[in-house]
Amino acid sequence: MLAVLPLPEKGQTAPGQTGQGMISGGATALPRPKPSGRPWPVTFTDVAAQAGLRMQYTYGHPQKKKYVIEANGAGVAFFDYNGDGLLDVFLVNGSKLEGFPAGAAPTNHLFQNKGKGQFADVTKSAKLDQSGWGNGVCAGDFDNDGHTDLYVTYFGKNLLQRNNGDGTFSDVTARSGTGGSGKEWSTGCTFVDYDRDGHLDLLVTRYLNFQIEKSPLPGAYPFCMWKGSPVYCGPRGLPFGSLALYHNKGDGTFEDVSVPSGISAVKGFYAFTAVATDFDGDGWPDLYIACDSTPSILFHNQKNGTFRDIGTETGLAYNDNGSEQAGMGLSVGDFDNDGRIDILKTNFTGDYPNLYRNLGKGLFGDVCLRAGLAVNPDHVLWGTGFADLDNDGWKDIVQVSGHVYPEVAQIDAREHYQRARLVYRNLGGGRFEDVSEMSGPGISAEHSSRGMALGDFDNDGAMDVLVMNMHEAPSLLRNELKSANHWVKLRLRGVQSNRDAIGAVVTVEAAGRVQADAVLSQSSFLSHNDLRLHFGLGAAAQVDRITVQWPSGKSEQFPGLKADALYLLVEGSGQAARQELPR
Amino acid sequence: MTGLLAVTAMALWLQAGPDALSDRAQQLAMQKRYDEAEALWKQALQAAPNHFPSLFNLGFMRYSMGQFAEAESWLKKAAQAKPDDFNSRYLLGTTCLKLDRREDALRAWKTALAVQPKNYKLMQIMSVEYSNGYYYKEACAVGRQAVELRGDAPEPWFVAIKACFEARDPETLNLTKQAAERFPNSARANFEYGFQLQKAGLRDESLPYLRKAMSQDPSYEEPFYFYGSLMLLDEQYEQAVEPLRTALKLRPDYVSACVALAKALMGLDRNQEAKEALDGCARMSPTHPQPHLFLSQVYFRLGEEEKATAEKLLSLRLRRENPTIMESPQARPFPGAPRR
Repeated sequence: MLAVLPLPEKGQTAPGQTGQGMISGGATALPRPKPSGRPWPVTFTDVAAQAGLRMQYTYGHPQKKKYVIEANGAGVAFFDYNGDGLLDVFLVNGSKLEGFPAGAAPTNHLFQNKGKGQFADVTKSAKLDQSGWGNGVCAGDFDNDGHTDLYVTYFGKNLLQRNNGDGTFSDVTARSGTGGSGKEWSTGCTFVDYDRDGHLDLLVTRYLNFQIEKSPLPGAYPFCMWKGSPVYCGPRGLPFGSLALYHNKGDGTFEDVSVPSGISAVKGFYAFTAVATDFDGDGWPDLYIACDSTPSILFHNQKNGTFRDIGTETGLAYNDNGSEQAGMGLSVGDFDNDGRIDILKTNFTGDYPNLYRNLGKGLFGDVCLRAGLAVNPDHVLWGTGFADLDNDGWKDIVQVSGHVYPEVAQIDAREHYQRARLVYRNLGGGRFEDVSEMSGPGISAEHSSRGMALGDFDNDGAMDVLVMNMHEAPSLLRNELKSANHWVKLRLRGVQSNRDAIGAVVTVEAAGRVQADAVLSQSSFLSHNDLRLHFGLGAAAQVDRITVQWPSGKSEQFPGLKADALYLLVEGSGQAARQELPR
Repeated sequence: MTGLLAVTAMALWLQAGPDALSDRAQQLAMQKRYDEAEALWKQALQAAPNHFPSLFNLGFMRYSMGQFAEAESWLKKAAQAKPDDFNSRYLLGTTCLKLDRREDALRAWKTALAVQPKNYKLMQIMSVEYSNGYYYKEACAVGRQAVELRGDAPEPWFVAIKACFEARDPETLNLTKQAAERFPNSARANFEYGFQLQKAGLRDESLPYLRKAMSQDPSYEEPFYFYGSLMLLDEQYEQAVEPLRTALKLRPDYVSACVALAKALMGLDRNQEAKEALDGCARMSPTHPQPHLFLSQVYFRLGEEEKATAEKLLSLRLRRENPTIMESPQARPFPGAPRR
């Protein structure tokens, strides 16, 4: 023999074969704590078909996605478009690469809540039967006329749909100047009155600069691979996205202030969901944007019409370890009942979500591991929300899931395109418990879901869930709660503030417990929740005090009120007015 | 005169048998006279086409010269020429690995293992490579085989534990328990058991083993880091600081320990100390983005916003310039066929 035989080098990788389109970690599930043993009174049943939510989502090719545009799905909205006290449903639809013959393209859908659990498709009569590659939706009364309007993002021109108050909407995009060039791939959006002038401005996120003719095909580059198999390329490796901020001039038109506001100075991200509220308690709304495979962004409102990204500095850009993540969806709410607004961000498979606890002074800490949320890293998570599902006074969590590659099981049999939903019960003390398996057939059903909205569509005091499912019908998960716990719902009306009070932070005190929540124009994944805030009260049959931090900057207290009802809080009135809750 | 002698000697070698030719070629190769050595080995192969030493040494010489494709073809022939030879199969596997063909390497090593079924060292190598190739179940199985053969030595246990942990094998905890029982004085064995206990959700049970590991080997940084991280996770910042400081003292370039220490100090609102720790860490690991990322947070807390921004931008730049530092394991090449 010539010499001693050599040892192989450890951890070799093939040059040019590393990388992937999507950021994820190699995270494995952390051990589940011992079950609390407490009864869980929540059962979700999918009642979409029986309720009349009949439509089929189109979103690229159902079996094999050639481009990233086909993968991300769309948002949904729970909102009361006709002011009858019943939540209606708006669903954004997509398209496919080949297109459709004239008149055959799928459209968005508006379903009117007729009460008694029934919906009617009023898309055409409401004039919301637009087609295109739709993505996100946000809601807000941009013209302060008392009727909540919609903004819908597209790969192409976005749409600002003015609610006429007579059951119809008008496309006011061109006049408003908020449509974009028509070449962008817009995803997230949120109305926000960033300058506190009482008019809702608009932030639009653009995922990436997608040009189909320039986009490489599956397998062409390392970022077009997933675990060694060719898949659609991106987002990594594709040109970054951008942001647009439109200032509402109060006359139905908007001005693009992306440059002077400092929004467009931030580069290098793939932006999805946007949320707007006052995260640091300084009375001015900030903007947080979940970014895919790049650091997420927190725009701090500088109170002079400009913003500065302080996501990294405040702990909101990365996870606890300082790693970039594939941010998709956002929940915003006070999970630990300390009166501060926290954030939950969903990410890709092989990774954990982030539970960013608001530490005060505008600082955040990712407490996902400690909270017990690092137990399902085999899910690609999208829509998410904090909601007190059992009305015990602690906000629980709902998340929807589904892989991006339909063929993923052929690549790695451990992964699945369709997955069950997840429900976590808030145990208090900053801890959660996975109760998905106890939450009924609506949760255990497997779909590839994306958008999700929270709201109480049947006004029974239990929060329900609306879900977008890729290439299927939507899900309407009715919460069949069996509990004597009390609750209260609050609808805010701005006077000096924007009429829908988007961005307001509400604190409810009951039986010595303090809870906070925010009125949002968008959250979850590119979706819009019920504008009415819902607080579980546990055994407390009375709310002792309500404090509203209005978007105008004013703080207002409302006196105590009885539980199990909806109240209207009008800015400056100092009184809560009980409202009817039609069933 | 010297040249004439060399030519004469060469002529004599050419008349010799393949063994003698190969021996001479080997001497020449050791003198780095590769061309002459190759000529002699090829001469030997003309006389005896399946002459194993010539085939193997040609392969080895090519391997040593970094010519892996050529090495592979000679080593394949060598392995065919001598079916009961271990070394040719082993080296063939190593060559395939150099050619970024991990699966062929593992195939070759499997045949080598058939020749030497008790070669626990090769089993350990295979376990590591199975893991690198995402063949976690196979990595765990062969690792355990090595333990069965050499359970009296700690190293096979540790290789098997790592592989089985990655394979999410339910027996991993038991494996580490056995290792801790077998090697009660080994800090590594106690640490591994404590680590697995924590991963199994038995946090409180894990702590005595971690403490034992720390006291058994005060120069072994891992238990200090892990113990400190556990305290940090539980927001017991005060208890986290000292073990993390020790881990960092033992390994000054241990960025994870440094960041954890900084986070514990920030939790205690001791931001100046956190800054000092991160500064030291940034000096030790100048291309690592993490110290700068957390320095950005510390400066922000200290009210020095310009420095916070500068550190953020530096961190971002370093992240882009050194993507592998923070790259996820998912980015490694993955086997073509699905793993079930």
